[in-house]
Amino acid sequence: MLRFILDRLFHTFLVLLAISFITFFIMYKAGDPVQLLLPPDATQAQVVQMRHTLGLDGSFLTQYRSFLVQLSHGNLGTSFVYGEPALKVVMERLPATLELAVLAMLLSILIGIPLGVIAAVNAGKWKGKAIMLFSLAGISIPVFWIGMVLVLIFSVLFDLLPSSGRGEVYLFTSALTWDGIRHLIMPVVTLALFQLARIIRLTQSGMREVLTQDYIKFARARGLPEHKVVYGHGLRNALIPLVTVIGLQFGQLIAFTIVTETIFAWPGTGKLIIDSIQNLDRPVVVAYLLVIALIFVVINLIVDLLYTLIDPRMRLV
Amino acid sequence: MQRVGSLLGSVILLLTFQITLYAKILTVGVASGALSMDPYAFEELATISILSNIFEAPVTLDRDLKVRPALASSWENPKPTVWIMHLRKNVHFHNGSGFDADDVVFSFDRIKHWARSGFRGEVAMIESAEKIDDYTVRFTTRKPFPLFLKKLSRLRILDKETLAGKTDDWIANHPIGTGPYRFVEWRRGDRIVLKAHPKYWKGKPYFDDLIFKPLTDSATRVAAILSGIVDLINRIPTMDTKRIRDHKELRFFKRPGLRLIYLQMDQHRKHSPYIQTPDGKNPLLDRRVRQALYYGIDEVAIVRYIMSGFALPAGQLSPEAVYGYDPTIKRPDYDPQKAKALLREAGYPDGFTILLDTPNNRYVNDAQIAEAVAVSLAKIGIHVKVNAMPKSRFFGQISRLDTSFFLVGWENVGGDAGSMMSSCIHSYDSKRGYGRYNYGRFSDPRFDRLFESSQEEMDADKRLALLRKAQRIALVEDQGVIPLHFQVDLYAAKQSIRFTPRLDGQIRAFEITEESP
Repeated sequence: MLRFILDRLFHTFLVLLAISFITFFIMYKAGDPVQLLLPPDATQAQVVQMRHTLGLDGSFLTQYRSFLVQLSHGNLGTSFVYGEPALKVVMERLPATLELAVLAMLLSILIGIPLGVIAAVNAGKWKGKAIMLFSLAGISIPVFWIGMVLVLIFSVLFDLLPSSGRGEVYLFTSALTWDGIRHLIMPVVTLALFQLARIIRLTQSGMREVLTQDYIKFARARGLPEHKVVYGHGLRNALIPLVTVIGLQFGQLIAFTIVTETIFAWPGTGKLIIDSIQNLDRPVVVAYLLVIALIFVVINLIVDLLYTLIDPRMRLV
Repeated sequence: MQRVGSLLGSVILLLTFQITLYAKILTVGVASGALSMDPYAFEELATISILSNIFEAPVTLDRDLKVRPALASSWENPKPTVWIMHLRKNVHFHNGSGFDADDVVFSFDRIKHWARSGFRGEVAMIESAEKIDDYTVRFTTRKPFPLFLKKLSRLRILDKETLAGKTDDWIANHPIGTGPYRFVEWRRGDRIVLKAHPKYWKGKPYFDDLIFKPLTDSATRVAAILSGIVDLINRIPTMDTKRIRDHKELRFFKRPGLRLIYLQMDQHRKHSPYIQTPDGKNPLLDRRVRQALYYGIDEVAIVRYIMSGFALPAGQLSPEAVYGYDPTIKRPDYDPQKAKALLREAGYPDGFTILLDTPNNRYVNDAQIAEAVAVSLAKIGIHVKVNAMPKSRFFGQISRLDTSFFLVGWENVGGDAGSMMSSCIHSYDSKRGYGRYNYGRFSDPRFDRLFESSQEEMDADKRLALLRKAQRIALVEDQGVIPLHFQVDLYAAKQSIRFTPRLDGQIRAFEITEESP
């Protein structure tokens, strides 16, 4: 177990190093931030000086080396635009994004799994068909369209929910205040819909497969009540592939928030990264990708550990 | 008598109670938020606009960009290079500390010498600021400098007592000025919250609270005003204007802005990289070809169909409101026949093929404008391929001169035509700081001489004449660039809001009021 985690940590380190190099290189090639940072009538001397101040006057390798040296001191560099530590800029925005992603994930799991089970048990009947039709729609309709339609209906037409922005924040999250919850509803639903649809489909197909297995027939033959057969024996076995997918999806959700955050002017990392790419703010882009990569790795680790809890047959080697 | 007094007392009590109950709040949805709270960090419209509510300079520009007294109540110009500014007394910073000459000298020093100052170019001509007494400051310019007052309006005053010795980080997080609103909170990407400065020298502002929300997505911005969560938005997308005009509870505002959209052409290489001609030469070196392009673009159609009517066809470098505008220069009518004749004369009867570079996320409808230009020019036989790209790539590419023909914009900040002439039209001269954005490398020594002499001409009428003469050479005689149109700024607000857009597009809440409900 410990060996497994240490192995993983070493891999993580290599992955992060590779990511930092690739991002650094792409941003280096993308263009010159100084052109965007200085006013139109800046002089050549100002350009040279700005380049020096930002540490952009060396070759690519020199710049990358000094980045690594700083990194070894736990410093991800200073944002070109905000003039503050890049990691601080990213971490300031991260709670808003995590809050959206976690709530959307919870919503899609809590609704998606039961619906998927119902759809599997009622396969071929109208109930099952209706659920599958809904999930098909959820997968096919683009996120930004759903967001726009929600805003049109609930804000512009009926004035029930605020059309954009984040509400009152209490202890890093807006999910604890009434104003915050009102602001959260539409972005969370928009973000959750796609995942919800996917989870329904995965649960349904997994369950249908499991329900034909011999141990289910045997459980029925033992005279166990139907809900115990379905949830106790069926779902538990169908969950394993689902956990993997949900784990991976959580990472995707964080990346997906870019669209949702743009529609709802949500002050999370998605908007930050779009702005930073446009402004060629390399330190922030690198810091963001490193943080996100780290989150991905940690989630995968948790998923691997969860396996052993759900399925005692699995043992970490 | 006593009874009247107590009655009066209770009325006043009731009134104050009312006021606290109904704090007047103005929430503004802006297309882009502030980059920093340090007033010298970025010379960028959105940041300057928001900070103009917190900070003030010795002089200010009114809605039409005329110079008006602000922290300086009057001034003298005893010698062409010397300006004596008399400062206002009884002005207080938001933290209660008083304003005097030391603050002006301190601020000038920081804007001019701070390594990250974005305004060093703006104040480059101003040599020094010295304190004469507590309320008098003497500024000296390097040469006679007619634009002194306009540039001085960029010097937002900081409080020396509070800021001396503080780090950049601290200053950026504690914006303390003398303006009508004081800083309360900045939740990045979400909102900037300001409150009225009770001791503001012009009197307490109308709105008690002022909130700026960055709503970068234009559909989100429009939804926000339609659903009523903001009171005012800027930069309405042209395709949504009808919806807002037809809305009963909203008011629609437009004002021709300061930004010119225009085309630059490679005029210094014998063989330009992205032009294919039968003889392999660069046709843009020929004035007749450049004129053919001007006559061959149907700008009226671009304004009508691409800009939904919210732009003004441009016949010169600056719009009417800008100093330097010449009423005698009119944009010639679209004339494809004349354009073809000019091409024939220049030896290109069958036209040529050229690549037009354009950003696609910088100006209103930028890539569509470039496509419309291509359609227009196809009719006179010039085959234009449009190469649209994000601004971050575009500006890097044109600055390496890796282009033959490109679409770009210029904002006549400060309302003086000189800024564009200096940066985009004057021959490239990195030592003297001219022509930094003249990537087409247009060059005419006659223009350079006239423009340079205008820079030291203190007599306003003579200076205007010089600017006009210079523009006539660059535009009418040489066709150094091709003007397309001036953008029109669009705003929407709730019916009750009383607002007149400023020429520079800034949103200053002190100039906005509300009809009492």
